[in-house]
Amino acid sequence: MSASPTTEKLHEAKELDLTLSGRGVWLVKVPKYLSQQWQKSPGDVGKLRISRTDIPGRKPEVTLKLNDEISQTKIPGQPPVPKDHKLMLTGVGDQNLVVFSQSVGTDKLAVEGKVIQRAECRPDDKDGIYMKRKRIEVMKMNQPKREVIQIKGVVPVYKPKSDHEFNIQHQKKLKEDGKRTRDDKEKVQNMLFAAFEKHQYYNISDLVRITNQPISYLKEILKEICIYNMKAPHKNMWELRPEYRHYKDTTS
Amino acid sequence: MAAINQPGSSVLKPAALSSSDGNKKVEEFTIRVPKDKKKTYGMMKLSSGSDVDFLKLSQTTVKMERENNLKEYKTANDLESAPKFGAGSEFGREQKEEARRKKYGIIRKKYNPEDQPWIMKIGSGKQARRYKGTREGTITDNTSYYIFTKSADGAFEAFPVEEWYNFTPMIRYKYLNSEEAEEEFKRRDHTLNLFSVMVRKRIKNDNSNEDGEEVEKKEKSKGKKSKSFLLTDMDEFGDLSDDDDEEEDGEGEGDDEEKPKKASKGKKGKGVEKRKKNSKHNSDDEAIEDSDEGDFDDREVDYMSDSSSSMSELEDRDKLDKYEEKGVDEEAGLKKLIDSEASSDEEEDKNKEEDGEQEDGSKVKPEKVKKEGSESSSSSSSDSDSDIEKEEKFSSVLFMQKKSSSRSATPTSFETEDKKAGTKRKPESEMPTISLPTSSKKIRTESPITAGSGASEGITEEAIRRYLMRKPMTAKELVQKFKSKKLHMTKEEIIGKILQLLKKIKPEKKKVNDKLYLSLPKTD
Repeated sequence: MSASPTTEKLHEAKELDLTLSGRGVWLVKVPKYLSQQWQKSPGDVGKLRISRTDIPGRKPEVTLKLNDEISQTKIPGQPPVPKDHKLMLTGVGDQNLVVFSQSVGTDKLAVEGKVIQRAECRPDDKDGIYMKRKRIEVMKMNQPKREVIQIKGVVPVYKPKSDHEFNIQHQKKLKEDGKRTRDDKEKVQNMLFAAFEKHQYYNISDLVRITNQPISYLKEILKEICIYNMKAPHKNMWELRPEYRHYKDTTS
Repeated sequence: MAAINQPGSSVLKPAALSSSDGNKKVEEFTIRVPKDKKKTYGMMKLSSGSDVDFLKLSQTTVKMERENNLKEYKTANDLESAPKFGAGSEFGREQKEEARRKKYGIIRKKYNPEDQPWIMKIGSGKQARRYKGTREGTITDNTSYYIFTKSADGAFEAFPVEEWYNFTPMIRYKYLNSEEAEEEFKRRDHTLNLFSVMVRKRIKNDNSNEDGEEVEKKEKSKGKKSKSFLLTDMDEFGDLSDDDDEEEDGEGEGDDEEKPKKASKGKKGKGVEKRKKNSKHNSDDEAIEDSDEGDFDDREVDYMSDSSSSMSELEDRDKLDKYEEKGVDEEAGLKKLIDSEASSDEEEDKNKEEDGEQEDGSKVKPEKVKKEGSESSSSSSSDSDSDIEKEEKFSSVLFMQKKSSSRSATPTSFETEDKKAGTKRKPESEMPTISLPTSSKKIRTESPITAGSGASEGITEEAIRRYLMRKPMTAKELVQKFKSKKLHMTKEEIIGKILQLLKKIKPEKKKVNDKLYLSLPKTD
């Protein structure tokens, strides 16, 4: 989570390639199911038919017809998708929409063009497939998420146990280790100094584990060479007395 | 919009012309979704106000970067970069943090630079315009957007738009934040009410005046501590002409009072000064009021045991009040004593004296002695008192102040006293202006006090007797009584003294509730 070089690199400013900024593109709003279908089997997915009339003031009709194999491919758990779609053309208004792209490997940034036409893809539901699909969706939505089920058999319930396996093992291990014995004071101090070289603050329980000394004995020694922090940043932790410590200043 | 804009800048050529019946022209294109995803597409929604046209910007450099919010992320998640080793590091901190988080079910989001807003910089240096593109979340929740571009072979290529970014210009100048703006907005209908303005102004003026006065007072009190006790406004006037006298006082003190004075200078010296000042203005007072000497004579006799003393009724009441402060029981006891032993003035005086001693130490004594000094030799009396004085130094000045204040109320008596004493008050004679009303009786009672000065410290046989006569007490309570007097004795000393005296007194002993109560029969 630290500022690794990769994250630093990701934050680098990259130049935006503007060569394609003059290109006009369409922005088409596509139903989700269609998008899923397309992503599942990319390639040629269908035909776009634009029919213009000479009648002035009339918008050209744009239809989208899916390929057979696309409309046939089934996504498990999904009802079939309609084949024919209509594209409703709308203007961009005063919106300034620019498409940009980011190359996957190289992270190159480029402008891909300006949106000159917006369109909305709607199913042209002649055979009622879309409505069927919708019906199924609604039914699915209305299904309650939790249901009451009547239990017929006996549900296994575990008997209470006086002592669990884990506890037994733990106790056993403690017994095997035996009591911690008091070592030579010098030796313990050396161990402590070594520990405090690595870190400045230690909890008593950690020190007990490190030195393997009885807690009362350890405290005795700690009182001589350490300070006990009782306040916030390093609460309940021991630290060496200033006269014993010589850390290199590595904070920067 | 009769004609539609074909995607692609080039002239559109129909890939397959299927049919054109009559007035209908039909073009057909294949739609292709690219299999390999080399690029991810995003939409820049530039705010309508901004006139960013990349066509015109082809000469300038446009750079985009992700905003670096790592620091913010770290502070928000309490991830201060504590050193992992060496100074300042905690053993096993990260593991403990992790365990803690797991325990409380905290799932922390990782910092993802890809999720940070874009920052677009158009131009360079100071002229650079900056835009911040924040991601719009919900727009692609239920639908997906594709951009259709025309490829070289005439087919339409459809690329999914993954993210939408809303680019807005970054504001560099200072502006009101929402709260400030709210406040300003409240003031939009604010009309200037002249009346309220004037009222506010007046209030302000008053305050400043008061302040000024307070400051003055403070300065004064700083200069002379004891002046905090002022009876009349005249006292303050007196201050103005007082300074010279004080200096002279100081000199005078230096002569024969050097030792004991030094320590107590802070309190006592000032007290004396004050007294003097009071007396001075009293004489002025007299001149104005033109009161006669015998004005208060009849009252005096009623309340004062000492007929010659010249306390007025007022001041007597003052005194009574004072005793009440010390404890009503004492006062009652005193009265009883006075009743019973009214026969001899001396006795009474002694009682009073003792009371005074118990409360404040015999504060007035040295002064009185000084007073005497004019008649007898001051040196002889002072050495007997010197040790007592030391005790007294620390005791409160209250008593003295009281006296001085009472004196201010009785100018006439004061004058007479002065004459009686036969000492003209000169500024050089340091102490002579001590409470004169008490002085006459002090003179008389001098001998008993000096005798009792050995016992001193307020613990006397008489005092104990008084306490025991009033009501039965345990020894502990008795000790407590004396301890509360703040005598400069250790507890052991007090107990020892009391024990010694109790043996002498031999009080009646009674046991109530397992406690030994001592008492004395009332003597009438």
